[in-house]
Amino acid sequence: MVATISEQNSVSVAKELAIKIEHLNFYFGTGELRKQVLFDISLDLPKGQIVILTGPSGSGKTTLLTLLGALRTLHEGSLQVLGKEIVGLPDKALIPIRRNIGFIFQAHNLFESLSASQNVETSVELTRNIGEKRQLAVDMLGQLGLSDRVDYKPNALSGGQKQRVAIARAMVNRPKIILADEPTAALDKASGRDVVTLMRHFCEEAGTTVLMVTHDNRILDVADRIINLVDGRLESDSDLETQTSRIS
Amino acid sequence: MRRVYDCFVNFTFLKRVPLAWLNLTHDRKRFVTSLGGVAFAVLLMFVFTGFMNALYDSQIQLLTKLNGEVIVINRLKNNMFVPASFARRRLYQVRAFEGVADAYPFYISEGAWKNPETGQSFSVRTLAFNLGDPVLSLPAVNEYIAELQLPNAALIDTRVRPEIGPTEAGIVSELADRRIRIVGTFELGTDFASGNGNLVMSDVNFLRYFADRGPEEDTRSFATADLGVVKLKPGATVEKVVAALQQALPADVLVLPRDGPDGFVTRERLYWQENTNIGFVFTLLTTMSFFVGIILVYQILYTDVADHWAEYATLKAMGYSNAYLLGVVLQEAGFLSVLGFLPGFAVSYLLYNAAAAATGLFFQMTSERVVNLFVATFVMCLVSGVVAVRKVQSTDPAEVFGG
Repeated sequence: MVATISEQNSVSVAKELAIKIEHLNFYFGTGELRKQVLFDISLDLPKGQIVILTGPSGSGKTTLLTLLGALRTLHEGSLQVLGKEIVGLPDKALIPIRRNIGFIFQAHNLFESLSASQNVETSVELTRNIGEKRQLAVDMLGQLGLSDRVDYKPNALSGGQKQRVAIARAMVNRPKIILADEPTAALDKASGRDVVTLMRHFCEEAGTTVLMVTHDNRILDVADRIINLVDGRLESDSDLETQTSRIS
Repeated sequence: MRRVYDCFVNFTFLKRVPLAWLNLTHDRKRFVTSLGGVAFAVLLMFVFTGFMNALYDSQIQLLTKLNGEVIVINRLKNNMFVPASFARRRLYQVRAFEGVADAYPFYISEGAWKNPETGQSFSVRTLAFNLGDPVLSLPAVNEYIAELQLPNAALIDTRVRPEIGPTEAGIVSELADRRIRIVGTFELGTDFASGNGNLVMSDVNFLRYFADRGPEEDTRSFATADLGVVKLKPGATVEKVVAALQQALPADVLVLPRDGPDGFVTRERLYWQENTNIGFVFTLLTTMSFFVGIILVYQILYTDVADHWAEYATLKAMGYSNAYLLGVVLQEAGFLSVLGFLPGFAVSYLLYNAAAAATGLFFQMTSERVVNLFVATFVMCLVSGVVAVRKVQSTDPAEVFGG
């Protein structure tokens, strides 16, 4: 895939990129306590690629994820999400950008008072597509193998099922980008495997870019590309497809 | 539960997921406790404003029953407690004025009533008038005119305090150490000046009891009256007659319209408002209940927000604005105010009746007072909602990651 991209000219490269990061620096705190956590990150994420971000704790993985999700205001460098520069944007202007991104967290963060379908519908409502929200939610849950659990409350679902509802919530609006933070950490091996396989399946179909932070070695194989972050710097960036082809 | 939810949600929030309602009612036990808290604050506010209003309203009950547009009193009688009377011949003078149809003397005196069951004496107020004069617009009193003509006959107020004993026709007891026979009942209620209750009798009987009670008591006669009730001819202007009477009569009497901002009734009410701490004490108590309510509702809403912190933050990460979250919390506040008010109101209603029966005070639950307290409850919940929502608004959605 990298090879194909390099063959194209720079204009269409920009078009095909979901996320483009150039010389991004990020700091926590101000004044004396100011501490730099990300150093001069430059990274291009093409559309449809599934990228796993690894690295030791404290290396800034999660911070990078929150930056890409437009959850923090940024001041240095350049970060384009779906062609829109978000460095320098105020908090308010970040809110509409978040609506193009699906978030999946380590915890499912589902409202216990809402049924599976209603939890997914909260996401559809953001698109103002209120008339079809129930249908969209049910379809999405169905595709994730939860058609018989649509009206169950989270309490009546297993851990893997809850995480799949959370994935349905993140994907129901067909976002161009999905950001996932250790989505399998709270799951056993089999359900973790199921969850990432489903994610991979959908993202391939919809051409969604996925950036997943994980420590879970069991799921590394779903990735197209693995990026390693150490102490706030990009340590390595390897394309699995190229590697595999090299090995074979 | 489902129906209540439909009422509120269907038209207001259309087809959105009713997050506020579902979060509020998800835990039934907690929801009921929350409503209990709001209802309790509502109840406190009702009880305190109820007592305040009852104390004021009771003072003017008798005055509003006087059947005349103009009232003549001794100038020194600045409230009903003052036993000052005036010369009855002033009322004869009044009758000569243009526009005056009639002027009736009204006699009031305190006397000791013996409870026929326990034998203990309690002070009651006796109201008396010439049975030919329609002084009181109390239908029950006018029904017993014939019976009241008998010697030592009186009517008893059914809303006297319980110390007085039974209130029914046929009771024989003592008033001012004289035998008295109850021939019927009427309904009025107590106030500060009435002691434990009211009796009504003819002016002739009044003299039997109060003309000469012994060396230490005031003597009463037909020469003086406590109130003069002036009935105007149809078409006469109250202000003009009052002005003419006050101008012509000597300064020992005061002539007042019964109603209106400068009227006798308002004056009595103002006297108690300005010369007692009732207003201050009960307003303070009501305000305290209001703040107790704010704290209660704040606790309820804050717990919801804190318990669902990660979920709310997720909503923010998904692209919901602070305004939406504010809306959710304020909706919860709105539901609490409406659903907490109803039981609070219902219990207060029962309590008003019970308090009225126990004290003989006049507890009125007017629609205006109910609406006022509902508005207070709503504001109470809204303030709590706004304070509680700051927790969500300050939530940084980035913190949900890796949390």
